[in-house]
Amino acid sequence: MPDTGVWTRKDLLGLEELSREEIEHILDTANGFKEISTRSIKKAPALRGKVVLNLFFEPSTRTKASFSLAAQRLSADLVDIVKESSSTVKGETLVDTGRNLEAMGVDIVIIRHQQAGAPALLARSLDACVVNAGDGTHEHPTQGLLDIFTMREKFGDLAGKKIALVGDITHSRVARSNIWGLRKLGAEVGLIGPKTLIPGAFKDLGVNIHHNLDEVLDHYDVFNILRIQMERQHKGLFPSVREYHHLYGIDAGRLARMKPDVVIMHPGPINRGIEISQEVADGENSVILRQVRNGLAVRMAVLVLVQSAKESHGG
Amino acid sequence: MSKAILVKGGRVIDPASGHDAVADVLIVGGKFAGIGKFSERDVHKQFSDVIDVETLDASNQVVAPGLVDMRAHMGEPGHDSEESIAHGAEVAVRGGFTTVACLPDTEPALDNVAAALFVKRQSEKAGFAEVHPICALTVNREGRELTEIGQLIEAGAVAFGDEQRASDEPAGILRGMRYAAMFDRAVIEYAQDPRLASGAMNSGYEATLAGLPGMPAVAEELAIARACMFARETGCHYHAPLLSTRNAVRAVKRAQKLNVPVTSGVCAHQLAFTDEVVRRAYDTRFKVYPPFRSEDDIAWLKRGLKENIITCISSGHRPVPPQEKELEFGRAPFGAVGLETTLAAAITYLVDTGDLGLSAALAKLTINPARVLRLHDRKGAIAEGLDGDLCVFDPKHEWEVTESALASHSKNSPFIGMKLTGRAKFTVTRGRIFELAHSNVT
Repeated sequence: MPDTGVWTRKDLLGLEELSREEIEHILDTANGFKEISTRSIKKAPALRGKVVLNLFFEPSTRTKASFSLAAQRLSADLVDIVKESSSTVKGETLVDTGRNLEAMGVDIVIIRHQQAGAPALLARSLDACVVNAGDGTHEHPTQGLLDIFTMREKFGDLAGKKIALVGDITHSRVARSNIWGLRKLGAEVGLIGPKTLIPGAFKDLGVNIHHNLDEVLDHYDVFNILRIQMERQHKGLFPSVREYHHLYGIDAGRLARMKPDVVIMHPGPINRGIEISQEVADGENSVILRQVRNGLAVRMAVLVLVQSAKESHGG
Repeated sequence: MSKAILVKGGRVIDPASGHDAVADVLIVGGKFAGIGKFSERDVHKQFSDVIDVETLDASNQVVAPGLVDMRAHMGEPGHDSEESIAHGAEVAVRGGFTTVACLPDTEPALDNVAAALFVKRQSEKAGFAEVHPICALTVNREGRELTEIGQLIEAGAVAFGDEQRASDEPAGILRGMRYAAMFDRAVIEYAQDPRLASGAMNSGYEATLAGLPGMPAVAEELAIARACMFARETGCHYHAPLLSTRNAVRAVKRAQKLNVPVTSGVCAHQLAFTDEVVRRAYDTRFKVYPPFRSEDDIAWLKRGLKENIITCISSGHRPVPPQEKELEFGRAPFGAVGLETTLAAAITYLVDTGDLGLSAALAKLTINPARVLRLHDRKGAIAEGLDGDLCVFDPKHEWEVTESALASHSKNSPFIGMKLTGRAKFTVTRGRIFELAHSNVT
């Protein structure tokens, strides 16, 4: 097990509670793991004999695959549980499910859940490590970390760098994790989107809020573009996909008015032609696939750190 | 032949008469017989039929009228695992309450004469605090057909209200208030527009960061302002039992200024917590309805209490068994137990902070709620002929709220782990003495 350094947490629930040092420690640890992916034998023994559980109450392709691969590259045994969970169906409670699985010897639980705070509830009830893979509209810390990791690769220090998040901030756990992480590392953060999708309360976090994208195209160094969900239109939060694309879609015309070395990011999955055009998504400024690659290294770092902290600090 | 109780040497505070001085209180045959200086011999001389005088030493204690709670969910009928009427009444006595109005959101609802009589019978059988039913205004609380308000009053209903459901049906509540205005009873309608307030916590910064759906303050203001207008139109006494926001306080104040018959109350725990506690650990003990709000809202609640816009403090007692609370925050039911912490919370967060004098705070726990419930000819004051109900407490006693310190079957208190000041030592209800020295009811 590597030295856990400043890291003493058995759980990763969000970036809000982490210090700058803790965030940097994860990113530095991830840097070391990135190299493993380039080897012909892509395995490290750090979690040999440990059991990692994917407990997903919401559909997910890339996050689950990324965590699974991360666990397997660290030589852990992996169990996948995908549960349908609905507030109307009365079944086993989350805490009971967790305790049962822990009784089978699970060391790390990776949980995705529709309800904000579900990972916190589980972490409080279990001795096993709990890693939040997205809880409601609260946080998605590993996505935030891999976004920041990717930006750091590009810029080095993020202090003073200007990062924009575009789209549905209200319902985005990715946005919240990005905001916490980026603010702690000293970046300037801007939120861009319609008034119905950016709660005013965010300004108390010391971020800029813009409703006119075109006015700020040349201000930011990074545009991290969030997925727009069709169901929000049905709830009346924006009038139509066409209007959304017209006001907030990133296309070649808007790209041309950004800084020449602007970085285009997207946490996926992409609605091509809506929040981002085909050519921008696949263009030179886009680091979307690099984000996915980095996700693996970041998640390996997180799994190793939480397990080590649990072992050396007794939970 | 009757029994007398002589409570000696306490600081007797009776907010109704303004009495606040060291004195003895005499109860004969379950009724108050006087405040003054009495010896046992005086009692025998004055009341020839008294065969036995029990003396309680109340030195260094406050002797107040038995507390009157106007908002407790008793669980029975329908949710007996949460709290039965008998046990709830016992828990009430431990908290210094001798009179409790229970809410109609039971299963089935308290919407008929048999249900009202059932509550009274359970209460009488138990012999602890008196439990009086607040009955539904409309059948099954659906906001349509009116309940038999006239007959329900004869069966003991102290007030009427649909508990959170009727707001969907403004026509129902308006009709209900028009009809209820014929009788001398208040309509108590907890008000939050449910179409706006479907969230899990207060809207704002904390909810935004917690990623939980919010309940905007305007949902409360809207519903309370509307109910005040209905009171103006119908002449019916409207009581808004659970103010939690700045603008709801202002809406009530405006109505009162126009002499609309509107009174209001606050739940004691509302003064102690802001929405900031929720995000710490998504702990569902902090999930209450209305939700904990902001510092600014608390300041306005205190202002409302000082200016007597808000005249009642209630427990809002809602037991929820642990297996139902141990859920994701968004899915867990609302509610906190409160009967055992309300007096202490009022002292800790209103009196000790200098916001209200002890007598003013006690008025909001005794005579004022008794008046809203139309029980003031029997309850809420220490005066000759009224029921001999007392709450004798030490206003300086500091105690830690722990699960084992609470007698309620459910332990869903937001105060667990906190220190509060003030605790009942004796409760007297109609001639029966309960000594509460840190342990079981005797």
